[in-house]
Amino acid sequence: MKLALDLRHLLHGTGEFGPRAAGLPWRRLVALLLLFAALHGACVGAFGLRGLQILYSALKLPLLLGLSTAICLPNFYAVNAVLGLRDDFGAALRGVLATQATVAVVLASLSPLVALIYVSSDSYPLAIVGNGVLFAVAALGGQVTLARHYEVLIARNARHLWARRTWLVLYVFVAIQLAWMLRPFVGAPEMATSFFRSGPWSNAYVVVLRALSALFA
Amino acid sequence: MRSLFQYVDGLLRGRFTRPEDLAAGRIEIPISRLVAIGLVLGLSYGVFMGLYGALRPEQASWMQVLASALKVPLLFLLTLVVAFPSLYVLSALADSKLSAADTLRLLLIAIGVDLALLASLGPVTAFFTLSTESYAFMVVLNVLFFAAAGFVGLGFLRRALGHVFRREEAPLAPPQPDPWGAPAPAADVAATAPEAVRLPAPPIFQPRRPVLRERARSIFVLWTLIYAVVGAQMGWILRPFVGTPVREFSWFRERESNFFEAFFRALASLFT
Repeated sequence: MKLALDLRHLLHGTGEFGPRAAGLPWRRLVALLLLFAALHGACVGAFGLRGLQILYSALKLPLLLGLSTAICLPNFYAVNAVLGLRDDFGAALRGVLATQATVAVVLASLSPLVALIYVSSDSYPLAIVGNGVLFAVAALGGQVTLARHYEVLIARNARHLWARRTWLVLYVFVAIQLAWMLRPFVGAPEMATSFFRSGPWSNAYVVVLRALSALFA
Repeated sequence: MRSLFQYVDGLLRGRFTRPEDLAAGRIEIPISRLVAIGLVLGLSYGVFMGLYGALRPEQASWMQVLASALKVPLLFLLTLVVAFPSLYVLSALADSKLSAADTLRLLLIAIGVDLALLASLGPVTAFFTLSTESYAFMVVLNVLFFAAAGFVGLGFLRRALGHVFRREEAPLAPPQPDPWGAPAPAADVAATAPEAVRLPAPPIFQPRRPVLRERARSIFVLWTLIYAVVGAQMGWILRPFVGTPVREFSWFRERESNFFEAFFRALASLFT
């Protein structure tokens, strides 16, 4: 009952999770993020119906959303402080955490579509592209929450616009690399189940730059 | 530690650089405290920066963490030691009323803001260090982070300089009539004169404003140029900060090449 109420407040931007709330209910926002990201992760990992991959993906998706947020938070604080927005930091943090929780909830709501893709085809590339598109949809959903919180903040001080931009650039930069590190989420059918891909960790940006370079070579 | 964090928080929030204080040429924070803040913040980013040297596949050495932790704050503070005399002289020539000690405080505050931003990016540097083997990527990432933090520090400095010079731009109070019956100043005479002889009040203060604003901008540009050139060269002298994977740990490298050549070489190697 409490969970349903929290979800309603989160999605409608009202109550304690709303942009005009007074407190910072971070524990509940983090709990929502972890719970719904794990639910969606389990669904994403169910491609080959391998129990271990389901478990790994259920662990990895909350890790992806939570860790990338945690890595970028010190800079978010510093940027807010240096822009003279320190007094609004609680509200800004509430907006960011609510955004991450919203992404997780939207992802979980899209889980039946993932299941539909898996049931309708055994194509691994389709599973990858389908999950990518659904993740993009969830990210856009998160932006609705972020915009809702930042609308109030920007009205108070236009510099919040810069704080939001900085947050987004750094967050996307970190999240792409973390997602690359944490792969596989779906699990290639011909490969053994593993938490990380075998071999040393590589850098997503270097891989992309080298691939682009090879295209024009 | 808590007290230090409060100081850093105050620094970022501009508690020590309030417009009214700067306009009065007043910066009330001890220099020793600012140096301590710079040392701690630089040291914390240096630890993250040196992590690559400690974890690289070949020639790994934890000494790189120690070296980078010492070198990052040194880079900023030694650059200031070298550049400060010229920075102060130039600003004094431009008629800044900040004393040498207050100029030093202002520059240390800007460095503190820069280092605080850099330290806040430490977890991101650590994350990429743990997840990449590419030395060139780490070099480019660190240069970008130094540049981003530097721009924020410069923005802070520019705002502060604007307040320092605004003091002189404040319009003077309108001339008061002499209570002992002396003739009223020229502007009042013009206002009470007949229409035929009424002349516009002479624009005594108007041309001065753009000149002073221009002066603040010139000082800012000169300071930035001097500090950036000295800083880049100081960084080159103090290298390595990240630690090339193929070389053994060393505190310093031999004198060769320059910062810009090395940066563009690292950037180009990302594509090959």
